[in-house]
Amino acid sequence: MDPTHFVHINTGSPEPIYRQLIEQVRRRVAAGQLKAGDEIPSVRELAQALAVHPMTVSKAYSLLETEGVLERRRGLSMVVAAQHQRAQSTADRVELLRPTLEKAAAESRQLELSKTQALTLFKSILDEQAP
Amino acid sequence: MTSTHFPHTDTPSAELHGLSLSYPKGDLVLNSLDWQLLPGQVVGLLGRNGAGKTTLLETLLGLRDPQAGSVKIFGQDATRLDDAVRARIGYVPQQNDLFEGFTATQLLAYFKSFYPRWDEARVEGLLSRWEIPRDRPIRKLSGGQQQRLSIIRALAHEPDLLVLDEPVASLDPVGRRDFLRELVEQVLDRGTTVVFSTHILSDLERVAFNLAFLSQGRIALQAPLDELLDQVRAFTGSVSEMAGLMGRLGAQALKRTPLEAGRERVLARLPANVALPAGVAADRVNLDDLFAELT
Repeated sequence: MDPTHFVHINTGSPEPIYRQLIEQVRRRVAAGQLKAGDEIPSVRELAQALAVHPMTVSKAYSLLETEGVLERRRGLSMVVAAQHQRAQSTADRVELLRPTLEKAAAESRQLELSKTQALTLFKSILDEQAP
Repeated sequence: MTSTHFPHTDTPSAELHGLSLSYPKGDLVLNSLDWQLLPGQVVGLLGRNGAGKTTLLETLLGLRDPQAGSVKIFGQDATRLDDAVRARIGYVPQQNDLFEGFTATQLLAYFKSFYPRWDEARVEGLLSRWEIPRDRPIRKLSGGQQQRLSIIRALAHEPDLLVLDEPVASLDPVGRRDFLRELVEQVLDRGTTVVFSTHILSDLERVAFNLAFLSQGRIALQAPLDELLDQVRAFTGSVSEMAGLMGRLGAQALKRTPLEAGRERVLARLPANVALPAGVAADRVNLDDLFAELT
């Protein structure tokens, strides 16, 4: 797997880089883009590709291992854990979006936007980003 | 990570105790400062302009004599380092001190003669990749090229302690990213201890696992950035509410800012793994906020 396109990170966010890595890998596994047995970039490869401290990457990988998303193969390489044969159900994937949307909903209320105004924006963003 | 790859030692790479230093005019720059750099750490040094970052780094290297206190590098008094310890240190000063009449080739050959180790392949690779003219006098190189050459010189002898004072100020974003990759490689391959000052916070966020905030002549706080982002929150309320809340949460107030009408904003660090109770409003912070509030 090409480490430069495996994940991307945003600096300047309140979300630490290791959490950004965890969430992106979790989502890609949930979507079935990464499946059981797929090898992921090594700590070294990813640290170099992203120019981040290797400890940040290894921290994310260990937590993903504890969660059962990744498993360590003999040697050092990490693979997607055996239980993730296919994409999760739509319901489960929708649930992964909840924390982000809850935050957006809270901000939308603070801004005193109507439901329609907020949903229109969300729809147009979904349309923009469609491939 | 690195600790499994390297012979681990708990002896600090640098240890500063009770360091005080004032400028001749009498301003106290370092005020009984204590600081430790442990092997394999990459520490970002944060401070406002004029906070004394350069003075601190120069004192750490034994280039300035403090009025009080001590500095040890790899266990040795920094003002009396022997050649073996000197050879384990790499330094990129804020103002580069390259000999301007030399060419890059001459400069590197000169420095090579001082060091027992010298990674020729790496030097050659970096000179090519960073497109540094080898046979032109250094004074004719651009600021960015001089800075890159200064970085190559500091990395060439495979230092165990690397001190970088604003090393990327003249580099463009691509040059900075390249430099950060070199730094990551250095850490991966050698477990080098790195201390790094810069105002480019996005660079620090990537490579500095630990941050040290220099304020009023002391290291006011040193902690892993991940932990700070996970644990630090900003709260706003009346002074008495805030006092009660900090007590209930077991939080440590890092900075209090008085607001109008008996209210205040408190930046506080929650104990590890403590979730905020429902109904307590708090803002998350990013590295820019931490810099603004803690330096």
